[in-house]
Amino acid sequence: MAKKPTPSAASARQAKIQAAQSSRGGGANVIVVATVVVVVAIIAVVGGVIWAQSSDQQDATGGANALPPGVSALGAGFPGFADVTPAAGAPTVDLYLDYQCPACASFEAALGPTIHGLAEAGRITLVYHVKNFLDDNLKNDSSTRAANGAFCAADAGRFQEFSDQVFPNQPAREGEGFTDAQLRGFAEAAGISGDALTTWQSCLDAGTYTDYVNSVEAQSFEDGVRGTPTVRINGEIVDLGSIGSPELFTEAVENATA
Amino acid sequence: MSTRTGDATTDVPLGSRRRERVMDAVGLAARLLLGGVLIWAGAAKVGRPLTAQRAVQAYEILPMDVAGWVGLALPFVEIVLGVLLVLGLFTRPVAIVSTLLMLAFIAGIAQAWARGLTIDCGCFGGGGQVGADETRYPQEIARDACFALAGAWLWWRPRTLASLDHVLFGQQRRP
Repeated sequence: MAKKPTPSAASARQAKIQAAQSSRGGGANVIVVATVVVVVAIIAVVGGVIWAQSSDQQDATGGANALPPGVSALGAGFPGFADVTPAAGAPTVDLYLDYQCPACASFEAALGPTIHGLAEAGRITLVYHVKNFLDDNLKNDSSTRAANGAFCAADAGRFQEFSDQVFPNQPAREGEGFTDAQLRGFAEAAGISGDALTTWQSCLDAGTYTDYVNSVEAQSFEDGVRGTPTVRINGEIVDLGSIGSPELFTEAVENATA
Repeated sequence: MSTRTGDATTDVPLGSRRRERVMDAVGLAARLLLGGVLIWAGAAKVGRPLTAQRAVQAYEILPMDVAGWVGLALPFVEIVLGVLLVLGLFTRPVAIVSTLLMLAFIAGIAQAWARGLTIDCGCFGGGGQVGADETRYPQEIARDACFALAGAWLWWRPRTLASLDHVLFGQQRRP
């Protein structure tokens, strides 16, 4: 290709090529092959997109738009410690979590007691945004199931207790998820028993809050939440490093208090 | 599969023919590298539609809806390009598209870096926001630049060893 053969060499080459081609029936037609390849490629891409789109939407159905107690609309956060009336000027703290997110478990271990304490004392209005994007990434459904378990526990007034069971009991390896028995164990440890446990189980089995969790997932991404854990104080996304200890978190809350 | 026509042409120097063979082999390596990487990158995203969409949306270049569709389509585009490269079918046009795709990825990563976004490139699945100290922009750009170079080689010189182009079209003018 780089060297140009002399005319005699070129004609010799040409003769050989033609001989080789006629022995193979003249070679393939470039235009025919190109058309086939382009059509197959388009079918592969369009078919793939349609399939991916449908599998994505399958995740987005199943709960008949039921809302957990205290939540007024799809996409809205769940009020933590709703029975506490916050003090005047108390800032709103929004927590964005996924029950399968190891960094969320570390966050909860480090700051959970501090945040709960502030909420119980009415010094913050705590809002949970329970996400499930890790289900897609980890190819399981444990985030959605655990979220359903938590909001079914909320029906029994035990959201926080259930939530506090999930994070310390995350699987050792991310992606292994939660078994049904584990989730039931969390409900029992959260203090749900008897008829309430039966109700909780049927609520979980029905995937009652799946639509709600999907709506929170979509809304939080639209609102600029790109990962978990994410913390907003009075609407502002806070750098986690700046609130990484109980002292720093409390200080940030005090600075945001009107 | 090799170019037998060269055997009889005594006036083409032996060294030149050897050099051509080496160049063909380099082309094969470029095809397998770029094609293999594209198949791997595409396959890692298949079955994770939400993650793939979010990865593209996190670049904050395209409108959310458009970025979502790009995220859904990209894995399959990558796999199609990768398969064609591994087969060596329509090597030059496929190499051109693949090179431009890599340059687009580099531009996307560079603008994310320049704007101070802290995201994972999502090149092989994953993606989205990471901590400020977890970004790997220089490495991601350098890696994609290597792939772009492999594509550019095939753009410049699409003749390679063991290609379907050769089997199907022989010594016809390349498409």
